[in-house]
Amino acid sequence: MTCERIQEKFSDYLTGDLDAGSRRRVQAHIAGCAACRADLEDLTMVWAKLGVLPEEQPGPGLRHRFYGLLEDYKNALPAAERPAGQAERARPSGSRREWFIFRRPAFAASFASLLLLAGLGAGWFLAGGRADAGRLTLLSREVQNMRQEVALALLDRSSAADRIMGIGYSASVDKPDGRTLEALFEALDRDPSPNVRLAAVDALYLFRNTPGVRESLVRSLGVQTYPLVQIALIDFLVDVREERAAEALKRLIEAGELTPEVKKRAEQGLQQII
Amino acid sequence: MSPTDNELMTEVRDGRVERLAVLFERYQTMLYNFFLRLTGNRAASEDLVQEVFMRVLKYRAGYLGDSRFNVWLFQIARNAHIDHLRKQKGDLPLDEQFAEAPDRGPLPDAAYEADREAELVRRALDRLPVRKREILVLFRFQNLKLREIAELLGCQVGTVKAQAHRALKDLGRIYLELAGGKAS
Repeated sequence: MTCERIQEKFSDYLTGDLDAGSRRRVQAHIAGCAACRADLEDLTMVWAKLGVLPEEQPGPGLRHRFYGLLEDYKNALPAAERPAGQAERARPSGSRREWFIFRRPAFAASFASLLLLAGLGAGWFLAGGRADAGRLTLLSREVQNMRQEVALALLDRSSAADRIMGIGYSASVDKPDGRTLEALFEALDRDPSPNVRLAAVDALYLFRNTPGVRESLVRSLGVQTYPLVQIALIDFLVDVREERAAEALKRLIEAGELTPEVKKRAEQGLQQII
Repeated sequence: MSPTDNELMTEVRDGRVERLAVLFERYQTMLYNFFLRLTGNRAASEDLVQEVFMRVLKYRAGYLGDSRFNVWLFQIARNAHIDHLRKQKGDLPLDEQFAEAPDRGPLPDAAYEADREAELVRRALDRLPVRKREILVLFRFQNLKLREIAELLGCQVGTVKAQAHRALKDLGRIYLELAGGKAS
């Protein structure tokens, strides 16, 4: 094969898209052709060098601006379809629903800014009582669906900050579906970041009366190893007087692996529940 | 199971524009880095990402769903970047803008300086003419197949391969010059 034909394959060689036969032919050629070998070595070097460029995250302002854009667009959309004279509509105003209640002020402060952004984004059309009720009913389901979708998309991200924001979105859903709850349970039990797990406990507190939530939290007691998360779970279960937690707490205390603070809280909690 | 990009964009086209939020979350970082590597400017890159999603809304009715969503999205992104260059250099014909080496632009900030190696690569990339830089960024970072890049650029796959090859060689030469080594 000529040098030219071999060099045509270099792009695929670099991306790993060459089949085994072509790859062997390239390797056989460069073993005997110093010029092509040098060429491929240069290309490989540059290809690898490009890999050192870090992936950067855009600033949080971008997300805020995007949701502003989407809100404006959405607001303008039905106006065009309405009969003349009815297009003018009250903008969403008045009180915003408080959609994520923190039970631990110190923890709240640690990601309040993130949730503020999530709130600005997710709450882009959480409207007050003055807005058109019909329109709200119409949008309500879409908003709920959107929040769940965004929550799931964010919970899948590699950055803990994004996942916490995803939990913020899920917490703003009125009636989360099974997927959203599963994602929250998954975050609670398996997320490598304690902050994400804590955020999941707080979000699940909002859904404490949803079937299955308390059982999952009792089960999670046996899985958690982070003291802060353990305490948050105990607080949660004591708060809702979940009797099924008593057995789990007893087992935890007997296992003897708790830190002194968690053990003390577990013992107190046990007294409060039974 | 999460909806595919194509399913989401089809819903956006059909009026459920709030579904664009999910696509935004999926693509904002990828687009931001695409523009950052082309322009070297964070603020401009954020503006361009915003511009892309504005255009997605504007042109949503024209989405056919017959090619991959990311190819359609990057087509919009390329056009937004071309318009950005036009605005910057209104007097120059577009062909010349693509042929010339770009200005260095504002100095990168401290975060960029932190990693000398990355900075050197970035500077080398910056010195490539826009067209070559664009091919390299698409080829190396955007997870696009060569045939998708060819579709984007409106040329043959062989042309993309040849251009990517040349762009990589040029980048290597510039990099070695900047690093103080001998140019090959």
